[in-house]
Amino acid sequence: MLNCFQQAAHGMLPETTHDEASRQEFAKSLKGFIQSHLLPGLEPVYQKRVAKNFEKETGRTPENRHDIRKAMVKDPYFQLYASINRIAQELLWESTNVSIDRQLPELIEKARAFSAASPAELNIPEGFEPPRYVSALDIHCMPGGYCSEVTEDDIAAGVLYDRGVYLYTMGYTGPNNDDMGRSVCNYLKRNMPEFKPRRILDMGCTVGHSTLPYREYFPDAEIWGIDVGAPVVRYAHARAEAMGKPVNFAQMNAEETRFEDGYFDLVVSHILLHETSGKAMPRIFNECERLLAPGGLMIHADLPPFDLMDPFTQFILDNETWYNNEPFWGAMRDMDQIELAEKAGFPREQVRFDTAPMAVMEFNAQSAGYDAESTGEVADRDFTAGEFAPGGGWEVLIAHKPQRKHEAA
Amino acid sequence: MSEATDNRPHVIKDSRGKRPAFYAAEGIDNLTSMVMVLASELTVLRDRLDAAERVARASGIDLAAGIESLELDEDALRSRESWRQDFFDRLFYLARKEANEAANAETRESYDQAIEDIAVK
Repeated sequence: MLNCFQQAAHGMLPETTHDEASRQEFAKSLKGFIQSHLLPGLEPVYQKRVAKNFEKETGRTPENRHDIRKAMVKDPYFQLYASINRIAQELLWESTNVSIDRQLPELIEKARAFSAASPAELNIPEGFEPPRYVSALDIHCMPGGYCSEVTEDDIAAGVLYDRGVYLYTMGYTGPNNDDMGRSVCNYLKRNMPEFKPRRILDMGCTVGHSTLPYREYFPDAEIWGIDVGAPVVRYAHARAEAMGKPVNFAQMNAEETRFEDGYFDLVVSHILLHETSGKAMPRIFNECERLLAPGGLMIHADLPPFDLMDPFTQFILDNETWYNNEPFWGAMRDMDQIELAEKAGFPREQVRFDTAPMAVMEFNAQSAGYDAESTGEVADRDFTAGEFAPGGGWEVLIAHKPQRKHEAA
Repeated sequence: MSEATDNRPHVIKDSRGKRPAFYAAEGIDNLTSMVMVLASELTVLRDRLDAAERVARASGIDLAAGIESLELDEDALRSRESWRQDFFDRLFYLARKEANEAANAETRESYDQAIEDIAVK
């Protein structure tokens, strides 16, 4: 498929010169090429060459993803694949950063103006300490991570994430990077039309990509997006206003928010959990339970567990752990999320995994490149480890808090 | 860099977290990333030429067709061939040096000997 998807313009994105834009397109095209042309070669290389050598050397077949990794890292095809994948990641940030560096003070001024005009709240407390799992290293190799600030009222991390994520996802999540939020909203509207949340919390919202669809689908609800990074929520608040969808944003830790018990009817997160830690994840589930009013829903759209996948698929997926500064990526997939939800207080029979179909076909004609053929091809793919986004839809963990305690019995 | 530029804040350019090495031989990771940056610049250049043709066409000049039908005169042929030869010379500067070293009988040993003679004694 010829992917010509283009991000939709909004008031907070930096301008690009011809050459800057071209470098960014190169990074996006390279990611597409790796996925369509280099990735498929890994399986035959493994089956015909690497697994056989492993057997010859050890007298047994590779049993799990760790065995496979140990054998694959020595193979020149894998080395090329993994190194080019890493370089594509580095280039997408680098090519975006150049435009931001050129315009940072002007972008900060724009953000100040949009935020000042917004009717929604922006809450950034003094002395907030981001957790170590986001400050120890820069997740997915984004220079500076979510929390670094180089100047007053800095929003650079937000701009970088907004544009960088678009290149990373190659536009698969739509002109506004909002497919995940949109998919969950669609899922709720289709499967639970009677569910009308009064207040909605989006945890780990970064720049509000997935938060804004809730504003659209639940216009009467009070909506909050929270994140541990000050520059990203600052940017999120300005971006939402620039897009005409003001939403409240705050710098908070999902493990321990500042909202009162039972304040929300719907608590969601999108690709948050895998960027936390083994200790934080249970605390986040507990916090969700505390924040939900009776009858409320917790929905986490993130990575499905490893348990039903073959070891080679697990190996491919786990490359993010080793090569993209995603330390919790693999370990998170080994956790029993149903059990975590139960321990947090959700009745087991009220917790399940389900699929929220991608909303990508809804983006037709909404920005350059999104024609029916291309979006259809994105939606129609089978799940392939190492490709961005499953074809069928996002795996979501859904937990329902019963109306009354005895309902849980 | 002007003073005004210096006073502006700058983004963080490198990510925290030790970068993995993908190749056993040292230097290959570095080399590969440089090749990819050069490949990127090649596409930027190609895009820019494409842009020039499109802008010219929008202004009523069919640059692309003009380029295809351009007949190179003696001067153009000489100028291009001279540029290419210069380029090859730059591209193969190590081969040039290696041949010179051979011609002058410069060896690792002779180099070590020179250091020994100059620096140590």
